[in-house]
Amino acid sequence: MTAWTLFAPELTLFGAAMLFLALSFTRRPNSRREFLAALGTTALAIIVSLASLKAEGVLFGQSYQVDLFSQVIKVLLALGIFLVVCICGDLNGVADRHHPEFYLLLFTCTLAMMLLSSAVHLLSIYVALELSSYSLYVLVSLRRTREQAVAAALKFYIVGIVSSAVMLFGLALLYGATGAVYLKELLRALPAAAGQPLVLFGLLLTLGGFFFKLAVFPFHVWAPDTYESAAHQVTAYLATASKIGAIAILVRMASVSGGSPYLIHVLVTLSIISMTVGNLASIVQKDLKRLFAYSSIAQAGYVLIGILSMSAEGFAASIFYTLALLVMKFTCFLVLVVVASDGANIDVAQLAGLHRRSPLLAMALMMAVFSLAGIPPTIGFTGKFLIFNAAIKQGMLPLVLIAMANVVISLYYYLLVVRAAYLLEPEDELPKLQLPPALKLLTGALVAVMVVAGIYPRLILEISSSAAAALVK
Amino acid sequence: MEFSGFPYLTAILLSCIIGLLVILFVPAENQRAVKRVSAVFSGLALVFSVVVFILYDTSRGGLQFIERAAWVPSMGIQYFNAVDGFNLPMVLLTGIVFFTGVLTMWELETRVKEFYAFYFLLVTGVFGLFMSLDLFFIFIWYDVSLFPMYPLISIWGSTRKEYGAMKLTLYLLAGSALILPAIIFLHVKAGGTTYDITALMRSGTFSAADQKFIFLLLYLGFGILAAVWPFHTWSPVGHVAAPTAVSMVHAGVLMKIGAFGVLRVGIFLCPEGWKFWAPLMATVAVIGIVYGALVALSQTDLKFVVGYSSVSHMGVVGLGLATLTVDGLNGAVFQMFAHGIMTALFFSAIGYIYDRTHTKMIPELGGLSRIMPVASGYFILAALTAIGVPCLASFWGELMVFIAAFKVYPVGGAFAVGGLVLSALFMLRVVQRTFYGPRNEKFAHLSDVSFGRGIPRMILAAVIVLFGLLPSILFEVIDTASVAFIRGLP
Repeated sequence: MTAWTLFAPELTLFGAAMLFLALSFTRRPNSRREFLAALGTTALAIIVSLASLKAEGVLFGQSYQVDLFSQVIKVLLALGIFLVVCICGDLNGVADRHHPEFYLLLFTCTLAMMLLSSAVHLLSIYVALELSSYSLYVLVSLRRTREQAVAAALKFYIVGIVSSAVMLFGLALLYGATGAVYLKELLRALPAAAGQPLVLFGLLLTLGGFFFKLAVFPFHVWAPDTYESAAHQVTAYLATASKIGAIAILVRMASVSGGSPYLIHVLVTLSIISMTVGNLASIVQKDLKRLFAYSSIAQAGYVLIGILSMSAEGFAASIFYTLALLVMKFTCFLVLVVVASDGANIDVAQLAGLHRRSPLLAMALMMAVFSLAGIPPTIGFTGKFLIFNAAIKQGMLPLVLIAMANVVISLYYYLLVVRAAYLLEPEDELPKLQLPPALKLLTGALVAVMVVAGIYPRLILEISSSAAAALVK
Repeated sequence: MEFSGFPYLTAILLSCIIGLLVILFVPAENQRAVKRVSAVFSGLALVFSVVVFILYDTSRGGLQFIERAAWVPSMGIQYFNAVDGFNLPMVLLTGIVFFTGVLTMWELETRVKEFYAFYFLLVTGVFGLFMSLDLFFIFIWYDVSLFPMYPLISIWGSTRKEYGAMKLTLYLLAGSALILPAIIFLHVKAGGTTYDITALMRSGTFSAADQKFIFLLLYLGFGILAAVWPFHTWSPVGHVAAPTAVSMVHAGVLMKIGAFGVLRVGIFLCPEGWKFWAPLMATVAVIGIVYGALVALSQTDLKFVVGYSSVSHMGVVGLGLATLTVDGLNGAVFQMFAHGIMTALFFSAIGYIYDRTHTKMIPELGGLSRIMPVASGYFILAALTAIGVPCLASFWGELMVFIAAFKVYPVGGAFAVGGLVLSALFMLRVVQRTFYGPRNEKFAHLSDVSFGRGIPRMILAAVIVLFGLLPSILFEVIDTASVAFIRGLP
């Protein structure tokens, strides 16, 4: 009996996935009906995961751990998929007959992420990761304009299988060196064995699989094309919810890695390169979605700083920043979906005149990009602040100075987005954007969350701290 | 939680924040309502800051109007506002410039609602920074006061506005990129339990080596905002590009944030670093004084003249801070106040002239004092203040700084006084060419400042004369902080 309640959020998503599987068999798809069904089930998923926030236990013969950390991640994931479904009301980037499959894959992917956040057995981690990846490969290829999307999906797929092959190799090395398949055993074996080249190598290759999901250098090459070619909603999902799962498993792996100095050196290097590559490449992007792709590579670098601090504070900061990323990235995509209502890609310059077409969206976009740039009083600043705090506590002041230099670089292209929305005037007069009241409310709520959590982070910080404490106890 | 009586300081912040929210909900078409709301709430903020200034008990000194509440206990972040002799003049200055800036922009017609919304956001940050004593909040307010500059300049500005706005924002945020790691470093070194400046100030918290390193970061970070040479290049460009009220706030208040940050965070927390780097600060300040004056000499754009003269005058502030003496600190803080009011008057006067003539190029103007004598009068008064004519506010600040500087750095002091002579030269040159000589007939039909339009300038002029005649009002206040601070140094 208790086992089922422990598994409730996952079961909810599984049920939803089955529902859409059934819907995909029906002859006459009805977009509106499917949208409302998805909205309802994701809202239910949020409620269920909130209700099981305090659940604790172990399932499936020690391979599945339910603790505060995993439950917080599950709430974030449920929130993430709910938000993405919110902007699917006008899902014209995907052919109507594919809508049920679209939702089905969203649910299976989120389900896989939830499994990933709780998995403590190396193989179950691998299987969960693959389930989420395969869902995404198909999601990316679902776009109405096929050729480009299929090409991008193929690239995504090839980088994906290479990185999962690398990861499998790493897992094998780890197993060979320590004989451990459970994270708990690894935690016992690693600190003593962390100096061995074999173990270090195995750990790094294993992490490579997660770096692929998070788009950390050198596993980032898929991101720009995939972001650009997938339907807006899919890109939104890639940029928000799918990052949550990746960060969750990285944090969990880091917490058992024993904090070997070699590993930290490698992570520091990857973090610096990711930030710098992402930010410098963003400067020259014209397509808004490519811009967000490169900026998320840079954001992955900031997240790594929290993780490589290898302390409860660093993990808490990473969890906090995950929420921040979810809110601010999603706000950007909400604006994108409304502005590009025909489902086609837009350039940064096509945001021109947004301040007149919809003052609310222009303000939301400005707050979101300032938040991404880490300017107070926004949640993005507070997240970076916590991350840097944790890093400096570990004596990494130089790394933080490099990260701050990157923040300044990133500000340039974020300001160009603000400039487009507030300063540029479109060549032809464009009509005002009409938002449904529900979306207006959602936008207002997102802005409020960004500002309030930025200036008063106490509540979220306490939750993330307890979640991180559950991880390292 | 600790509040001593009515929370005036929070009331000032709330006047700005509530004003901002009200503006957001006024329909954009109703421009008059937006302006009235802005005037009422900025007036309210001014009234509160004047009340605080009057109620401050100089015989007691120290921190007063303390408002303290736990904010994020696990991080040691507090909401902690208070005023002492250093920030009290700054709060008053902000109140005055804020209110007069709103009135100066009364004739604005494009995107009025957005303008005032961003303007209020900016000023909220400025007020918050001046009154806060918690490092976390100081940083938050610092950035809140900076990022609205980008839209404010790039939308409502003139003369290469996009370039100016981008340059300014990137420079200033590069400064903040040095400040944030420094602040966190201090917090961590002190045990990671508090951001409270008064607690971190206790001597012995930081080692001398740490202080030297961190002071440099803070000095560079805040110094960029104070337009310390050679990091000043954003400042004249930004002044020229910005709309009138933003120039007023920018030169009048924002640059003071930089100098104030050096004082409140750098000097307060790293006195050893201060002593170590003071000769460098003095050298850089003197170069700034002379350089700013020399460059101003060759400008043809009125706003560039004022922009470069600000670099020069902020050098005086920097020199005062570098003397390590009570007189130097007194003079520096007084000069911050006086310079703030003076540049606000400068830009306010230029704004009026520019609105009428649509030019701020000196060669195209000429003989303006016969066309618009009152408007010209305001500019000339500001120019006389800038020169350091006795009985006008700026004189006292410069006098104190130079007395202190001569004792500590005789050579630097001599150069600085030389710079002052230069500034008299360029100011008189500008006044002569713009307001006297043959008048440009193209502008002969233009009307002078009406009484209503003149109100903000009158307020500023009155403040200049008041503190010029009675500097002791301000010095008494500053003294309570500077004497105690210098005495408390190890």
